[in-house]
Amino acid sequence: MNARTLECRDLVIGYQSRLHAPFTFTVAAGSVLAVVGPSGCGKSTLLSTIAGITPTLGGHVLIDGIDVTRRPTHERKVAMVFQEPLLFPTMTVRDNVAYGPRRSGMSKADARAKADELLDWVDLADLGHRSIDQLSGGQAQRVSLARALASDPAVLCLDEPFSALDAPLRARLTDDVLGVVQRADIPAVHVTHDPQEAETMAHGGTGGSILSM
Amino acid sequence: MTAPGWLRWAWLAPAAFIVAFLLVPLISLLARVVTPGTLNYLVDPLPWRVAGLATAQALTSTALALIIGLPMANVLTRYRFPGRRWALALATVPFVLPTVVVALAFRALLGSSLGSGFVIVILAHAYLNMAVVVRVIGARWSTIDARLEVAARTLGATRWTAFRTVTLPALGPSIASAAAIVFVFSFTSLGIILLLGDSSTRTLEALVLRQTSILLDFNGAAVSAAIQAVVVGAVLLWAARQRNAVAGGALRTFRLRRPTGSARWAVAFIVAATLVIVLAPVTSLVWASINSSTGLTSTWWAVLFGAETIDAGSTRIGSPLAAMGRSLTYAVVTGLLAAVVGGLAAISVLAHRLGRAFALATALPLGISAATLGLGTLLAYGRPPVDLRATGLLVPMAHALIAVPLVVAVATPTLRSTDPRLVTVAATLGARPSRAWWTGYGPTLRAVMIAAGGLACAVSLGEFGAASFLARADGPTVPLVIARLLGRPGEASFGVAAAMAVVLVIMTTTLVAAVDRGGRRA
Amino acid sequence: MKLIPVAAIAALSASMLVLSACSSDSSTSSSEGSGESSATSNASEPVTVQLLTHDSFALSEDVISDFEESSGITLELVSGGDAGSMVAGAILAAGAPTADVIFGVDNTLVTRALEAEVFEPYTASGADALRAELADQTFDGRVTPIDFGDVCINIDDTWFEAEGIAPPTTLDDLADPQYADLLVVEDPGTSSPGLAFLLSTVSRYDEGWTDYWQRLLDNGVKVAGSWSDAYYGDFTFGGGGDRPIVVSYATSPPAEIVYAEGEPPKTPSTSVMTDGCYRQVEYAGILSGSDEIEGAQQVIDWLLSPEVQADIPMNMFVFPARDGISLPDVFEEFAPQIDDAEQLPSDFIAQNVNDLLGEWGSVMGR
Repeated sequence: MNARTLECRDLVIGYQSRLHAPFTFTVAAGSVLAVVGPSGCGKSTLLSTIAGITPTLGGHVLIDGIDVTRRPTHERKVAMVFQEPLLFPTMTVRDNVAYGPRRSGMSKADARAKADELLDWVDLADLGHRSIDQLSGGQAQRVSLARALASDPAVLCLDEPFSALDAPLRARLTDDVLGVVQRADIPAVHVTHDPQEAETMAHGGTGGSILSM
Repeated sequence: MTAPGWLRWAWLAPAAFIVAFLLVPLISLLARVVTPGTLNYLVDPLPWRVAGLATAQALTSTALALIIGLPMANVLTRYRFPGRRWALALATVPFVLPTVVVALAFRALLGSSLGSGFVIVILAHAYLNMAVVVRVIGARWSTIDARLEVAARTLGATRWTAFRTVTLPALGPSIASAAAIVFVFSFTSLGIILLLGDSSTRTLEALVLRQTSILLDFNGAAVSAAIQAVVVGAVLLWAARQRNAVAGGALRTFRLRRPTGSARWAVAFIVAATLVIVLAPVTSLVWASINSSTGLTSTWWAVLFGAETIDAGSTRIGSPLAAMGRSLTYAVVTGLLAAVVGGLAAISVLAHRLGRAFALATALPLGISAATLGLGTLLAYGRPPVDLRATGLLVPMAHALIAVPLVVAVATPTLRSTDPRLVTVAATLGARPSRAWWTGYGPTLRAVMIAAGGLACAVSLGEFGAASFLARADGPTVPLVIARLLGRPGEASFGVAAAMAVVLVIMTTTLVAAVDRGGRRA
Repeated sequence: MKLIPVAAIAALSASMLVLSACSSDSSTSSSEGSGESSATSNASEPVTVQLLTHDSFALSEDVISDFEESSGITLELVSGGDAGSMVAGAILAAGAPTADVIFGVDNTLVTRALEAEVFEPYTASGADALRAELADQTFDGRVTPIDFGDVCINIDDTWFEAEGIAPPTTLDDLADPQYADLLVVEDPGTSSPGLAFLLSTVSRYDEGWTDYWQRLLDNGVKVAGSWSDAYYGDFTFGGGGDRPIVVSYATSPPAEIVYAEGEPPKTPSTSVMTDGCYRQVEYAGILSGSDEIEGAQQVIDWLLSPEVQADIPMNMFVFPARDGISLPDVFEEFAPQIDDAEQLPSDFIAQNVNDLLGEWGSVMGR
């Protein structure tokens, strides 16, 4: 299969007016683009534009070489991990993770099997049957990560995923993310306000870089 | 989870309420009516046939109300836009209009094109009850994070699939609640059936009325009322089971967001549709209030404000202004009573095992026909040794009976979804158990009681059935004056009735809008 | 900030209450504690008599206050809903009543009330002045006729003039194809005038009444659920409907003039079809078990007094039961006195009304 890439060409982000100069960059498979900047500068907007949640004011987004700028979110295969886990409240942990595979047509049994596999990736293999309100903050965030990856995304976007967690947990999860990004061999964009974290994410693996806004 | 101190006894309030306001009147009535021979009336096919017709009609009305109400609930309780509060208040107005007013307005609008019958009845029911859908489901919907659907979309779900698989299940219990209430109101509908219905749309409520007021067949009426009570009880039990089946989890109320992009068009369309739907019948009422055989006129409004009279010196309808003051007073008392009892009932659901049973019991009055309740209350509290008629309490009592289930329906799911960890936090900060409980649940409780209390006020303003039995003859409420006016010929009667109906709409809208604001700020 | 909406509601309520206190209200609310205001001449202490009535009850305020002053009785009006609900309540409370006097029991309901022993017998002091045809309708002195009204077919003359058709004049005409799709009636199961019209046809056609209704059905009769729905919704005059013939009251045409906007018209645009009218008589009686028998008796006498009888037409739009009362001009001119109205015996009605309604329902497909 082709190596997955994310490319932005002259991408203009914003709602009514542009928030920033146009972006042009490429993120290669297995590497992380760390986006760092103060609050309110548009980091989250960049992510939501790449994911197709926010329409762009100009420019292009290309995933695996295909221009997806006009495509709706559900066709882009950009998975997101948010600051809060945002797990679906009426489903178990396993069914949360199996959500993406189900949407792409997998049978319930296959999707659940895949979910178990991904839960294993993030060391939560025996929590599949739990309901989501029985999880700690760190566990929930890891489930969120597993859920994102289970959908077999082309790109992984992370919007300040660790800011609600304590330092040791943060360090642990940073390693987890780097690990899964390389293992899944997909490009990732990681947004943070912490320059230290940006440094770790970008240069902890191979081929990463930092974008300051 | 158990609540501390006095809150554990919260269930006493709904229990006492049920006993005093519902059981005592019912027993007073049944003691006079039921004989060993009453059971024989169970084999009469008539009430069973009517029950079947009423069920079919009520199911369809419920489906229509949900279809119309869900988009409204979404737009009016989750987005922020200018005039939102007024749009929400306006959407609540049909619920509290007297049914005779709604029926006439519908006739005026749709004329005889649809004629009477199934279609116009379910349209009228959907119109009257969409507010329940908007409020009950909206209250829950505003506690659901909008980003959940966004997350689903990034996982490959289309907008519709995201709604269907993530939001709809989370809304499930509140949809069950709302559907149950709409079903019950449609199943026990009286005014709309009498005025717009035909042979395919009969209800047991109308049958009971006929059996008590025309045939004086009390045994038959008892059987019909019993069948209705059983059906309603079953539906409400089912709804309660749905509510309890879901874990829920701790969710907070999210700030309203501004609609962006294509959502703006959808929001604008739905708001416009809401206004058109609600205001079309109201407009025909306004038109009727300024119209006469000689062209436009302000006479009916002049009569309303006492500048002119059409009943010079007669006890006929009394002063419309006095009726408005009276209605407002009853409404305020009802609102307070219903908010307190309903709030305590909702608390007792959380705080005590028995609580759920009593909260369920508060919904029983919805299934008991107004004629039955009115007659029973009269027998129990309208004559010596306990004669409360002079106190003016009988009307608010009956109105509270109808309003409390609504308060409970709105308050319980919201209270349930309050994060119980707030109580723990308060306790760790040194608060005594009851204080900590109050810190955790207080803000939500206050907000919800204000909102639900306002709804109870509005219900009281427009209620007709019980009031016709229990209001003082010289002290009618606004709906009673409207009914009396409509009970006699002459364009003046119709014009003034229409003007009073318009005032009722204004009073209700203002009340609900003001209370909503107070509720949100709390 | 959150105090402001609460303050707004409080201000609104307060202003409403003030307005209602200032506006003229019925003087019968004197039962709210002002019993000591009227000069008592007869009674040694203030007496309150509760009068149970239905929604259509009305009398002039000064007629009532005159009575209260001269008798020393405080009259408290108690509402029982519509006539049927009121009687149902009285029957259920028989023996331990919710009031002292009941007014508004009509001839379709009176038998049931008599069977339940609701009344305390009393012959009013004006009973000998009753109209001839009502004199023997006291059921052994247990009730007193107070007024009567006729349920009749009403015609929209304006409509018929515009169409150039002569309006119907008999019950048979209503089934004539010439008048197809022009009649609206009320459901006898839910409406008192509707029931009255049904009873009229039973009285007129005897065993053949179901055939008559079949003919009406074939002729496109419309059935409304209530009088207001028929009159304001379907009647061409009242509400812009499409039916110029409606079951209403003989006094609807004068009411049209009294309750008109602005300058009252010289003649009403509706008129009464005098064939097939049904007579409804309203009775008053003392409720057995009342502890104000003397006061109740005075109230019954008063209801039959010339003052009240003369006041009744313009307030309740029915005719006085007492003989020799002069009617208002608008009644004399436009409310016909029906000499041969249909009327069925009350016990016949009580025994058969259930079956009649059932048969009617089968014929009409309801």
